[in-house]
Amino acid sequence: MRNLWRLLAFDIVAPLAAIGALVMIGVVLGWPLWWVSACSVLVLLIVQGAGVNFWLLRRDSVSVGTDDDAPGLRLAVVFLCAAALSAAVLTGYTHWTTPDREFKTDSREVVQVATGMAEAMASFTPSDPASSIDRAAAMMVPEQAGAFKEQYKKSSAEMAQHNVTAQAATLAAGVEALGPSAASVAVILRVTQNSPGQPPSQAAPALRVALIKRGSDWLVSDVVPVNSR
Amino acid sequence: MPEGERTEPEAQEDSADTDDESGSDSSEPESRGAIFSNYGIASAVLGVLSVAAVVLGVIIWTAHRDDVGERAYLTRVMQTAAEWTAVLINMNSGNIDASLQRLHDGTVGELNADFDAAVLPYRQVVAKLQSQSAGRIEAVAIETVRRDLDSRPGVGRPPRDVVTTKLPPFASRTDSVMLVATSVSENAGAKPQTVHWNLRLDVANVDGKLMISHLESIR
Repeated sequence: MRNLWRLLAFDIVAPLAAIGALVMIGVVLGWPLWWVSACSVLVLLIVQGAGVNFWLLRRDSVSVGTDDDAPGLRLAVVFLCAAALSAAVLTGYTHWTTPDREFKTDSREVVQVATGMAEAMASFTPSDPASSIDRAAAMMVPEQAGAFKEQYKKSSAEMAQHNVTAQAATLAAGVEALGPSAASVAVILRVTQNSPGQPPSQAAPALRVALIKRGSDWLVSDVVPVNSR
Repeated sequence: MPEGERTEPEAQEDSADTDDESGSDSSEPESRGAIFSNYGIASAVLGVLSVAAVVLGVIIWTAHRDDVGERAYLTRVMQTAAEWTAVLINMNSGNIDASLQRLHDGTVGELNADFDAAVLPYRQVVAKLQSQSAGRIEAVAIETVRRDLDSRPGVGRPPRDVVTTKLPPFASRTDSVMLVATSVSENAGAKPQTVHWNLRLDVANVDGKLMISHLESIR
């Protein structure tokens, strides 16, 4: 009974688990050429070892698992099996779990940044013209912020002259595309403009906010209207 | 080997063993010296580690499979919404009946029941455009932020009769998709007329088939 257990565990399950772990690493990595070759060599070695083991089992009626004089060999088998499985788990964690988690947090974060940016740049208060532009510029990549401020000042000068107040709020927003270091978010705003002596006007512009990741922060690199035509 | 396992004589009858991967009963201190050699203990520890690795691997694999499936599903949702909208914004006075039939076939639930009322404003737009018009979808996204500004008092616009977004029968889930599209009518002689569309579509999963269950304009 005891020998049967040891035969199962050391001579059958352990090599199979090791082969399974090697294959899983390949699946996780997407079978790059170097792993295809490394994996075939390792699997071949395991199969050879198992083959010799069973040949010896037939000849001597004792295998690695049941040989009481070779506990070190047994330990080595378990060690290799555990090492292969741990490597598979680590590869899976770094190549699957971490990116999946990042994708989820990123998709939340980019929408937050993009809606904040769009609202800030579409809002305007004549009494405090710099407030929203500074808020927007803080969310942009530094090399774009200067040019963006210039442009905004030009377009807002007229609004300031006519004492127009613009208030923007997000109606809907969603991620169009998201990669590890770049993203594009579509934002539909409701902009309400109030000018003295005229009824408030309402518009629903759609903006595309492009973002790039700097370090761990998402920064806006560009904002363009979606309806370019 | 002198340092080998000295288990054989005593452990003949014992099936719970040092080398079993389940790590067995190394908790009995008085029997440890006799039954378990250092090699056996190390093997058991590594065995437990292997089992834990297998369990973790299965967890990682299923979680990843779910995430990949979810992303693929949302891509399908966006594709369905885009295809449906493409028919809607490319409606011309010439193909209006065929288009409406195709649109109707792609809907489910209340939108399907009240289809004519729901598409009436869009039909009017098409009638207004009259000429050959070409629509283009500019942006498609799964809507993750949604604010109903009309529910706030003082905004002005009277609340539109929004069709309630309750799950249509047989649908296992719905997702909101926002679309931005433009159609340009190319009228010979006249100035091209541009219509901007900001649409919100609810896409329902009915037995694996994706259908549009709600349509509204984002304004």
